[in-house]
Amino acid sequence: MIEIKNVFYSYLDIIALNNINLEIKPGEAVALMGANGCGKSTLLKLMNGIISPERGSYRFDGEEITHKKLQDSKFSKQLHQRIGFVFQNSDTQLFCSSVFEEIAFGPRQMGLDELEVTKRVKDCLKLLNIENFENRIPYHLSGGEKRKVAIACVMSLNPDVLVLDEPMNGLDPKTQRWLVEFLVKLNKAGKTLIISTHNLELVHEISTRAILFNEEHTIVADMLTKELLKDIDLLKKVNLVDKYYH
Amino acid sequence: MHIPDNYLSPMTCAAMGAVMVPIWTKAVKKVKEEVSRVKIPMLGVGAAFSFLLMMFNVPLPGGTTGHAVGGTLLAVLLGPYAACISVTVALFIQAFLFGDGGILAFGANCFNMAFVSPFLGYFVYKLIKDNVKSQKGEYLGIAIGSYAGINVAALCAAIEFGIQPLLFKDSAGQALYCPYPLSVSIPAMTIPHLLVAGVVEMIFTVAIVAYIKKVSPGTIYEGAKERTNAIYGLILGLICLAPLGLLATGTAWGEWGTDEIKDVITGGNTLGFIPKGMSEGFNFSAVMPDYAIGGLPEIAGYILSAIAGVAVLIILFRVISSFKKDKVGSHNGSYRK
Amino acid sequence: MDHTESEMTDVPEWLLINENYIPLTDKDTFVNKSILSIFRVISRIKMQDSIQQTHLKINVPLNVLCTAILLILVSLTKSLIFVMIINVYLLSILCVTDTDRLIRILKLSVGVTLFTAIIMLPAFIQGNSYSSIMITTKVFASITAVGLLSHTTKWSLLTKALKRFYVPDIFILILDITIKYIYRLGELSLSMFYALKLRSVGKNNKKYTSMAGVAGTMFLQSMEMAEEMYHAMECRGFSGEYHRMEKSKFKWIDYFHIAIHIGFVVLYLYLGRVLS
Repeated sequence: MIEIKNVFYSYLDIIALNNINLEIKPGEAVALMGANGCGKSTLLKLMNGIISPERGSYRFDGEEITHKKLQDSKFSKQLHQRIGFVFQNSDTQLFCSSVFEEIAFGPRQMGLDELEVTKRVKDCLKLLNIENFENRIPYHLSGGEKRKVAIACVMSLNPDVLVLDEPMNGLDPKTQRWLVEFLVKLNKAGKTLIISTHNLELVHEISTRAILFNEEHTIVADMLTKELLKDIDLLKKVNLVDKYYH
Repeated sequence: MHIPDNYLSPMTCAAMGAVMVPIWTKAVKKVKEEVSRVKIPMLGVGAAFSFLLMMFNVPLPGGTTGHAVGGTLLAVLLGPYAACISVTVALFIQAFLFGDGGILAFGANCFNMAFVSPFLGYFVYKLIKDNVKSQKGEYLGIAIGSYAGINVAALCAAIEFGIQPLLFKDSAGQALYCPYPLSVSIPAMTIPHLLVAGVVEMIFTVAIVAYIKKVSPGTIYEGAKERTNAIYGLILGLICLAPLGLLATGTAWGEWGTDEIKDVITGGNTLGFIPKGMSEGFNFSAVMPDYAIGGLPEIAGYILSAIAGVAVLIILFRVISSFKKDKVGSHNGSYRK
Repeated sequence: MDHTESEMTDVPEWLLINENYIPLTDKDTFVNKSILSIFRVISRIKMQDSIQQTHLKINVPLNVLCTAILLILVSLTKSLIFVMIINVYLLSILCVTDTDRLIRILKLSVGVTLFTAIIMLPAFIQGNSYSSIMITTKVFASITAVGLLSHTTKWSLLTKALKRFYVPDIFILILDITIKYIYRLGELSLSMFYALKLRSVGKNNKKYTSMAGVAGTMFLQSMEMAEEMYHAMECRGFSGEYHRMEKSKFKWIDYFHIAIHIGFVVLYLYLGRVLS
């Protein structure tokens, strides 16, 4: 599904991705882990076609994604439909004046008829357990509610791959637990999940495989999540946890 | 609509700056009275909002894009006085730090965009809103207000350009600054604004106010009680003067050739937009010999030309070599272009 | 995790099948262009922050003053020679500026100069050659001078320098807040445009509504930020008055800089006399 080979990327001379090699197969649930500023978010941006690699190659479903191809609106739109991105800050993702409009935004653009659009919106609302939100204004929702709406408006596009940037951040424990179960359900339904997270307590529930970044912006471990969590020395080495962690 | 330096004479700039001083003083006083809660941060953040709004590219029919100025929008959202200060600060940063719009012409730019546009737009909006008491009346007011705001501001800029050749000529009768009279500058500035920029401004303003009204109606500025005062009087005077200016130059209306109009109009269309491209054909030293002979000893002219030539060569060489370097290790990802 | 098994039933059917979607074409360059212009602003602010004030740098208030004098002289002069000398001086300085900045400064000044040249073309053809060439060369000088100043100096030092010219402290504080929030709001609106782009997978029939959503949300956020900031300032004992202290000493390069600009003033007066 996703093939990343020898990818480098930097912002204004500051390296963000340093020789990244990664392959993700359809139906996998992968967690990206690492300390703040290690390059996780940049990699997610790259996967979603917001940026293109400076060096190296990125293939999505066999097709190479290049800067030039992304300039082609038809190509990039197709990519954006197939890979959905839930931003870390849900505020930035919501810009419509009602939850219904927000979720309907994508399906309407796809040219679905209004009946199908309404069905999708209703299904998404139900799926995310926010049925009574239909006419609320996204701007005034609470943090957790906003996150749910943001996920709903990506789900309504029916992407094959769902990318989530720190989805647990800022959620209360109950909502976190709910989100874990929701993600597991999606994965079982066949969706590929790529999740960046700092949450060491829940990471093994939402992912089977974990990718660990070090502070040199490169991948140091690619193994089963359960095993990675046991390797405390490694977690210490990449500055993800301190000496009090056990 | 950002006027760069040297299009207007320094005297015009000084005069426009002088006009702005009492307006700024009054605005600061008014804002201190009206906005009791968040005063200073609101002005700074409002200015940041105003600055960024000018960066937004608004879709135009046919797939192209245009810029909004947002003078009336800010006046409706924050009140005309706070809008005046916010736009002033935004224009200051554009001129001083981003090189967009002249430093000497700062007063003139503020007059057009921080004073005329928000105050006139707000006045028209208030007038219609108070007379047509319905939701429709309010949006009609915003639409007409923003359309009038940007167009009269463009007209003011045109008049500032147009009076230059009348007032500032050298002994040979050649214009020292903007060489176009009112008969050229007015249509060149106003036609694109009337047809395109004004419409963009209008739709954008209405859409934003509608969104904010729906989402968070409490945030929008509640107008003060009094309405007509000195500043509105001044603006009304300006509106009355504008057609007079048009009439006075009406005799010259048919005098320009078609090529010239086309040139000026397409030029005016992009005024406020700076073409950002490198020109390979830029040849500075070639301009020099013809004109460098005037009042300098010949040897000084040679030295000057030599320095210019060397400087241009060094710069060209460095620019070209940097392009080559870029091509090899290009990391200008999709959003850096 | 077994309890989730039973919930499989409530995953809607359309979510289980692959979409096979072929995008509709739409003209939506406005999103990309907005992203580009906001990104430019943000990276410009980031860039100026990394400028080091070394001992070879000219005293900032002095530099501001000299640039202002230069702008006024260029604007006032009727001598093309004078404008040319200033241009040559500015080009020589550009030569010793690092390449990245050099290109950024030139991009703007050459761009505006070309634009001016096009605007002046009809006047030139009509025989008004003197003023067309004058204005075009003057525009190049002014924009380059301002570009050199703003590209080689940290902006916080530039705004601080304004204090030397009796600009009220409160105005300087507002300027600093504005720059900071252009950055913050800029990042926010940039993410919003990315989000809009990622979700714009087909034909958007309500482009203005989407744009208004982005701008409107940005406004509401900015008002919240302003209120937050006010409270934070109040908590730190801010009463509405604001004073800054600044002391600086002149170095040899500053005296050199003063000498050059005195030279320009003398030259301006001399050439003015020659012409009349």
